[in-house]
Amino acid sequence: MKQVLEGSHAVSEAVRLARVQVVSAYPITPQTHIVEAISEFCSDGTMDARFICVESEHSAMAAVIGASNAGVRAFTATSSHGLALMHELLHWASGARLPIVMAEVNRALAPGWNIWTDQTDSLAQRDTGWIQLYCEDGQEVLDTTLEAFRLAEAVNLPVMVVLDAFFLSHTFEPVDVPDQDTVDRFLPPFDPRFRLDTKNPCAFGPITGPDRYMEIRRDIQAAMDRAPEVLAAVEQEFFSLFGRRYGAVDAFLCDDAEVILVVSGTAAATCRQAVGDLRKTGERVGMLKIRLFRPFPATEIRAILPKAPKVAVVDRNVSFGAGGIFAQEVKAALALHKGNTAVYSYIAGLGGRDITTATFQEIYLTTKDTPTPPAESVWVGLAQEERA
Amino acid sequence: MEIHTALSKQPAVLLACSTLSTDTNMTGTWRFVRPFHDEKTAPCGAACPAGEDIARIQMLTGRGAFRDAVETILLENPFPATCGRVCFQFCEGACNRASFDDPVGIRYVERFLGDMALAEGWARVPLKEPETPRKAAVIGAGPAGLSAAYFLGLLGWSCEVFEAAREPGGLMRWGIPAYRLSKDVLQREVARILRLGIVIKYGRTVRPQDLARIREEYDAVFVGCGLSRSIRLQIPGEDLALEGLDFLGRIRRGEVDAVSGTAAVIGGGNTAMDVARSLVRLGAEPIIVYRRRREDMPAFEHEIIMALEEGVRLMELVSPLKANRDGEDIILTLQEMRPAGVGPDGRARVAPDGERRQSLRVRSLFTALGSSAAPEWAPPAEQSQQLLRLGHITIRNGPAPLVFGGDLTNETQSVTDAVASGKMAALALDTCLEEGWERIIQSLGRARVGPGPALSMESYLGGARADRNRTVVSFEQLNMDYFQPLQRILPTIQSPEERRAGFSEIEGVYKKEEARAEATRCFNCGICNECDNCRIFCPEVAVEAGSGRRILLDYCKGCGICVVECPRNALSLEEEAS
Repeated sequence: MKQVLEGSHAVSEAVRLARVQVVSAYPITPQTHIVEAISEFCSDGTMDARFICVESEHSAMAAVIGASNAGVRAFTATSSHGLALMHELLHWASGARLPIVMAEVNRALAPGWNIWTDQTDSLAQRDTGWIQLYCEDGQEVLDTTLEAFRLAEAVNLPVMVVLDAFFLSHTFEPVDVPDQDTVDRFLPPFDPRFRLDTKNPCAFGPITGPDRYMEIRRDIQAAMDRAPEVLAAVEQEFFSLFGRRYGAVDAFLCDDAEVILVVSGTAAATCRQAVGDLRKTGERVGMLKIRLFRPFPATEIRAILPKAPKVAVVDRNVSFGAGGIFAQEVKAALALHKGNTAVYSYIAGLGGRDITTATFQEIYLTTKDTPTPPAESVWVGLAQEERA
Repeated sequence: MEIHTALSKQPAVLLACSTLSTDTNMTGTWRFVRPFHDEKTAPCGAACPAGEDIARIQMLTGRGAFRDAVETILLENPFPATCGRVCFQFCEGACNRASFDDPVGIRYVERFLGDMALAEGWARVPLKEPETPRKAAVIGAGPAGLSAAYFLGLLGWSCEVFEAAREPGGLMRWGIPAYRLSKDVLQREVARILRLGIVIKYGRTVRPQDLARIREEYDAVFVGCGLSRSIRLQIPGEDLALEGLDFLGRIRRGEVDAVSGTAAVIGGGNTAMDVARSLVRLGAEPIIVYRRRREDMPAFEHEIIMALEEGVRLMELVSPLKANRDGEDIILTLQEMRPAGVGPDGRARVAPDGERRQSLRVRSLFTALGSSAAPEWAPPAEQSQQLLRLGHITIRNGPAPLVFGGDLTNETQSVTDAVASGKMAALALDTCLEEGWERIIQSLGRARVGPGPALSMESYLGGARADRNRTVVSFEQLNMDYFQPLQRILPTIQSPEERRAGFSEIEGVYKKEEARAEATRCFNCGICNECDNCRIFCPEVAVEAGSGRRILLDYCKGCGICVVECPRNALSLEEEAS
């Protein structure tokens, strides 16, 4: 049934429908609405789940790690500094192969204090072994959260469902909230491959010497390698039940494009509009939305981007000293390809600054008019006095 | 089909997983500090003259283990129903909870348990049997004498009590008004004491010259005959006044039905309050006449408040000069006083305010100035190796040791202090006869609660409480993360109008749920109530639960988390012996 839902509550509804058994979280703007609604579901009996209140995000992740190791479906949510505080345990969750799902609301890191959207927080966790899926709108948030449990439990890796602060977390949109029976068919009860069992006692995560450690790491990499195929399978089932699918990437008008704009998150929705507008004026421009960031969908990207001579990657994030993070990954993915596609890197919209259709038009025109890409990322939309 | 393969055929997960037992890794070898369960002393128990194990009593009551709670009290105090009504609750004054919200209603809980003990017939039986039979004579069946007999009875002695009156109880029977303590409760508590085989011989006045003969017949003698000499005003016309304690006794014997008109009560102690409040109930209009100010009164504040609520009036800074008969009335001439600094004893001093005088016309006049020992019963004052003055008692050695106790020796005159005196006498006498005169000080030291002076029978007998650390736990030493404000539960209490109407008991008693809830407010300072924080927080799972909690030193790394997370400071950390 369609409801007008805040993006945050699209997550909450999905968690309810997923019959999550343990939730632990610590409030942080702009994530709080997600767990606020879930805590009410837990207290009023809408969800048969235990909500564990904790004193920090580090403890929240520790609690869901414990719950997941005990063999129940577990969820948490955080943002920005909360995610940074979790960092140590993010490694633990993936290393312990626990299918935890976490909603992560992209918010800038301080200083200066900024609660608005920026992807640097989640991208800073790219090497922790978590699968990352970036969402464009409220419906995608709900659907991705449901898919995330299925994906996580299939490959035994944790999944981060990422959504933009405010543009998505606090924006109300019509969202189709599926009925419980259909969701139950898509997402059966969690059947863990391993769990803490007092009848068969063992310790998870004991000391592991040089003779064993590397094989375990290789197994995590192998699980990551399988994830795109598994995601495709999950989405196929999801599509058959709900009629919606998103893909690891989403190509829009790329086939004949001379410039393909590469985006993620809510900027993709704006970009669709900008591409449509430019097409009407005869410009041959397309868009590639990257939804799956880890594992990075290099194969899918190599199947699309080399069609165009120029690619402009728009990053709402920055790795200081290296530039836009998506751009680096795209360049790495294309390095194996023998084509001549030039990759242009742009940084825009940090700390919640709006990325408008005009921003995309500027990026498109700059890319079109610049014969070879500059070595560094180009910062778009800076105030004049700041540039000096 | 391909899709199904992707989802269903996931390879086994390669996990770091161990089925070795922890025997392989004795993390205890890493430790250089060692936590240990170190039960300490709660401030309430240390403040209780009777040395009751209040923190434990509250713990047991909170769990609904009422019989265990009662037995815990009865080990230290034979009068819980009485003290639950009349004690001045020194414990609540010391309660750490007062620094948080309100002190635990310890006296209300004690009254609940005391009444339940009477209703259920719960009692203590002797705890040991002396190698040779011991027999004590007790002079006076007041709270001190009965306590001495009771505690000696618990230690296996047989006791005979000589009482001048025809009923037991002493001041509890004759000096405390019925609205604070009903006769029935007292009688039943005394009956429980007598179940230890104690015999009371009524109508037997013992004179000092009888002592020598008694000492020949008994192994020890306890003198608890109280203060029989009232302090006099020493003003002209004093014979127009009735002595307050005598008057209270007459009321309790049913000899006074009504008093009318204005009545002056001279004094500022608890007896003055009892007299004035009784007068209100008999129909008089009492005025307390006190030479200092209200804040200087020795009466407990609670008693003063209750008296004023009931309509007792108060005249401060006036000192009687003389009393004259004027027809049916008495004219009391009063010298006005003014504050004059503080005396060497720390009490406020007053001095006459020039020649300023007042006169007060009253129908009746009462004095309540306290009492002193009759000279013939004054405890011996000489310095001698064979005489010990121990606070609550004075004991003289001899073939049959002689103890002076109760109000004869107590600094504070209260039922609970009398219990303390009786207990100290019993422990001293038992030690004297079992181990010798020279062992008394050491033996009482072993039995003391915290820094003393309260003594514990349980500790004397070498029970678990004897091992308790004597450090008194302060509020700052508690971990307040684990406590939430909880409203103090009050029993029903009569309105001032109801109180003025008669002598029925003012305070109601908790219901079971109320007693449990109030007892649960107790922090259980310093004692383990098996909350299991130590066990839950231990990163090494090195705290074992069983009867009590035990630290598994093979695994304890000495991190100290258990010590910090103990809400009630029942653990300590010590450096590991190298």
